[in-house]
Formats: sequence, structure tokens, C-alpha cells
Amino acid sequence: MKNRVKITRMDLAITQEQLAKSVGATRQTIGLIEKGEYNPSLHLCMAIARELGKTLDELFWEVE
Amino acid sequence: MKSWIAVLLPDDEYKEKKMLQFLSEGAILLFLSLLATLIFSRFTSLDTETVLFLHAALFVVYVLGRYIVSGIEFTSIATEQEYRKELKSIVIKSAGFTLMFNLVYPLISGWPAGAGEWFSILGLSSLAGLMMFFINYISLKRSYGKNKELA
Repeated sequence: MKNRVKITRMDLAITQEQLAKSVGATRQTIGLIEKGEYNPSLHLCMAIARELGKTLDELFWEVE
Repeated sequence: MKSWIAVLLPDDEYKEKKMLQFLSEGAILLFLSLLATLIFSRFTSLDTETVLFLHAALFVVYVLGRYIVSGIEFTSIATEQEYRKELKSIVIKSAGFTLMFNLVYPLISGWPAGAGEWFSILGLSSLAGLMMFFINYISLKRSYGKNKELA
């Protein structure tokens, strides 16, 4: 699943480790989500969106 | 997850999903193997203890093997520096385990009678220590390789 997690995280100057810690995941899981190799649960999507100050649409909705 | 198995699972959801996958695969393989043994036992007599041990070993080796190769154990090791630091820690842990084994084993199973018994304890502890090192080393190498791509 394509998403804008990496770009948003980098804009906010947050490391993978910091984001992982704040959402209760591992750095590896954040890396996999950013690369589109793992589809997170809605619960984790919401935690990431909250942490990055974005809506689910802004982070995970694919726009053609 | 509201199940007793949650006690055995990690908090991270990706790791949890992977662990559930390995445990279910292992359980299905175990079931099929038991079924095959049941059919086979109609034609020949099997030693119960050996059969039970082999089935337990099949499950443990499969789940542990999948876990090690999947590279999900060392989730934060993504740089050469972190890799070297963790490798050092694995060497120290394995050596410590071997040493502890040598100290504790004679206390539990009785003081060795002669040099022969000492050698067999040393051999056993070295083998266990080496196995511990290689399991952790492969897991670390696989984790590092996976994490490097994701950083």
C-alpha cells in the first residue's frame, strides 16, 4: 500500500525510531509501512496519523 | 488480542502477525505428521518415546527456524555500528552461557567422577554455546540485512 508516512515523518524531522516508540511499534515495522511492504491495522494507522498530525486520508489515501 | 496465546506474542503487530503465522504453520505440519504416523503405526510398531520426541522437535525446529530466518528478532539493528555492537553482545552472552553451564551442570547432576566425565560436560556445554551463538548470529545477520533496506 502506497502512503505518505516517510515524507511526512521526514518533513517533521522525526526518526523512524522516535515514531516507532511513540506508536508502540518497532523501527522495522515503521520501515516496512513506509516502503509499502506491510499494511498496518487501522489502530496503528490512527496512532501514526495522530503522531504526525495528519488525517488518515492525508497519509494513506491513494490519489490518482 | 483476547486469547491466552497473547502471553506468548510480542507487542509489535507485525511481529505478532509473523509469530502467529509461524506457529500456525508449525501446528498444521505437526497435525499432518501425527496423521501420517497414525496411519504408519498400523503397519509397523513404533517406539512411543522416539515418536513423541520427533514430533515435538519438528514443531520447535520449524517455528524457531522460521523465526530466525525471517529477520524479525533484532528490529532496531540497521547500521554497521549497531550490528558490530550487537554481535559483540551475542559473543559475550554465548560465552557466559557456556561458562554458567559448566559451573551449574556438576552441581545439578553430581560432581564428575573423572577426566572423561569432565570432557563430556565440556563438550556438551561448548556445543550448546556454539548453537546459541549460531542461532543468534544468523538471526542478527538476517535482521540487519532486512533493516538496512528499510532505513
